[in-house]
Amino acid sequence: MLPKLTFVEQELGASLPHRRMEAWKWTDVRARETVPKSGLTSAMTLDIDLPDGLSLRRADEPAKDHPMGKIARNFCGKAYMIDVPAGFQSAKPLKLNGLGQGHGRIFVKIGAGAKLEVWENHESTTPDFVNLEISFDLGEAAELTRTLIHTDHADTTRIITAYINAWGGAKIRQYALSFGAGIARLETNIAALGEGVSAEINGAYLLSGKRHTDMTSLIDLTGENAHIRQCVKGVVSDKARGVFQGKFHVRRPAQFTDAQMRHDALMLSDTSEIRAKPELEIYADDVACAHGNTLGALDESALFYMRTRGIAAPQARALLTQAFVAEAFEGMADNTEFTARIEAWLEQHA
Amino acid sequence: MIKIENLTAVVNDGSQTILNELSLEIPAGEVHAIMGPNGAGKSTLAYVLSGKDGYDVTGGSVQYLGQDLLAMKPEERAVAGLFLSFQYPLEIPGVPTMHFLRTAVNAQRKARGEDIIAAPEFLKKARKVASDLKVKPDMLRRPLNVGFSGGEKKRMEIFQMMMLEPKFIIMDETDSGLDVDALRIVADGVNALRNPERGMLIITHYQRLLDYIIPDRVHVLSAGKIAASGDADFAKKLEQEGYDEYAA
Repeated sequence: MLPKLTFVEQELGASLPHRRMEAWKWTDVRARETVPKSGLTSAMTLDIDLPDGLSLRRADEPAKDHPMGKIARNFCGKAYMIDVPAGFQSAKPLKLNGLGQGHGRIFVKIGAGAKLEVWENHESTTPDFVNLEISFDLGEAAELTRTLIHTDHADTTRIITAYINAWGGAKIRQYALSFGAGIARLETNIAALGEGVSAEINGAYLLSGKRHTDMTSLIDLTGENAHIRQCVKGVVSDKARGVFQGKFHVRRPAQFTDAQMRHDALMLSDTSEIRAKPELEIYADDVACAHGNTLGALDESALFYMRTRGIAAPQARALLTQAFVAEAFEGMADNTEFTARIEAWLEQHA
Repeated sequence: MIKIENLTAVVNDGSQTILNELSLEIPAGEVHAIMGPNGAGKSTLAYVLSGKDGYDVTGGSVQYLGQDLLAMKPEERAVAGLFLSFQYPLEIPGVPTMHFLRTAVNAQRKARGEDIIAAPEFLKKARKVASDLKVKPDMLRRPLNVGFSGGEKKRMEIFQMMMLEPKFIIMDETDSGLDVDALRIVADGVNALRNPERGMLIITHYQRLLDYIIPDRVHVLSAGKIAASGDADFAKKLEQEGYDEYAA
C-alpha cells in the first residue's frame, strides 16, 4: 500500500525520497518539502554556453530508474541532448548556467578521444526547488572534467543526479564544491564498462547554519584495470549536517582494480552533524581497494601554537581548515576559483 | 622587562598546584636560566606566560613591558613581542613553512599598525637566516614541522624566532633532541639576538646548553617556586650536585 502523499507530493503526482529508503535515510526530501517552492512543477530554464563544434538538440528520453527520475521526465519538457564529436578539443568549457530552479535533464554524448570540460554553476538566491539529471556517455579514451560549484539559498532544495558511463580508456575527473542548501544531494553514479577507466572523484562541502549537503556516489566497475581515486572533505559548523555515502562495486570481471575512497570531516561546532557510509562490494579476487573515513575537530594544540606566533584564533582556524580542504582540489588544472570561494567562506565562518 | 610576582597556577581541574607563589624579574638585556628537576613546573611556567589553556592562575601577577600579561590572548602576547620556543613543536599539516611564517610575521605587523612585509623582501631574509641555521630550503616548502626530525623541529623554532624578532624569548628545553653541532648552530643564532633591549628565559634540564649561551642569572625551580639563584657558575654546581638539596 502506498503511503499517503503529502501536499507537495500531490502537486508532483509522485512521492519524494524519504528516510525509510536506505539510500535516502539521512536526506529526507519528503519531510523537508512542507510548502511548494518555485520550480516544484516547472521546467528548468537552462542557459548553456556551448563551445564551437558542439551541437544541441531537444528530445524525449525514457525516465531513469531513480526516485527523482520520473518526476524529472514529467516536468522537464524535452531533454537537452549535447553531442561532442570524436576527437573534440576546446580551450573553452561547456558552461551550464540557469540551474536555479525547476526540473532539467541533460544528456552529453562524448565521442571517442574527445576531451570535454564542463562547468556547472548550481546557484539560487531565493528558496527554490531544483531537480537536475545529467548524463554523460564517454566513448573510448574520451576525457571528461566536470566541475561543480554549489551556492544555494539556505532554504533551497537541490537534487543533482549524475550518470557517467565510461568505455575503455576513458578518463573522468570530477571536482565538486558545495556550500549547502536547505537540503542538497549531489549524487554521482559511474559505470566503468570498458578496460582501463580512470576516475578522480573529489569534492568538499563547507556548511554553516542549518545547511545540508549529501554527497553520494556509486562507482560500478565492470572492466579490468580501473584506477579510481575518491577524496571528499567535509567542514560543518553551527547546526549543519554533512552526509557522505560512497560505494565501490567491483564486479567479477573487474580484475586489477586499484580503487581508494577517502572521506574526512572536520566539525567546527558541537551541534553540527556528519553521517558517513563508505562501502566496498567486491567480487573480483585480484584487486586493491581501500576506504578510509575520519571525523574530528581542529587540533587545539596546533591552534595554540599558531596563536603564539601572532596569528589570531579565527585566522589560525581558517588556515588549518583551508589546508584540510585543499587536498581534494590539488589535482585541478586551475583551482584559484575554488580556493577563493573557500577562503571567503572561512572568513565568515571559521 | 618582565616581572612575575607570587604567581600561583593550578591545572584546570584544580587537582594540582604547579606554580606556587613564584616570583622572578628579568630586566631587558639579561638572559636568565631556569633549571630544575622533572615536574618542578618549568614547562608550566612557559605555558602560563604564553597563555595556553588548561591552567588557571589563582594568584599573583605578571607585568610585561608595563602591561598585564595574563589578561592578554596568546596572539596579543606574540604581537607584544613574546616568543615561546616549544619543547615539542607542533606539526601544522598542509601549511607550507614559508606561508605559515609570512602569515605570522604579517599578522603581527598588522596588529602593531606596521606595513606588511613584501614577499621578495621576506624571502631574501628567510634565505639568509635559513642558511645561517643550516635549514635546508626544501624544509621551507614543506608543511611546517610535518615529517621533520626532532632536531629539525628545534632548528625550525629558532628559524621562526629569528624571522619574528621578538623582544622577550622563552626557550623551553630547546637543547633536547639536538646533537652537539646543532646545539652550537642554535646557540649562535640565540647569541646573535642578544642585545640590551631583549630579554630571555632559558628553561633547561641540563647545564649543557648554558656552556653555549652564557646566562646572567641561573635559578632553580622546585615545587613551583624559585628555590635558589646564582650566576652562570651556579649552573655548573647544580650539574655536579644535582637538585636534591632544593627538593621540596
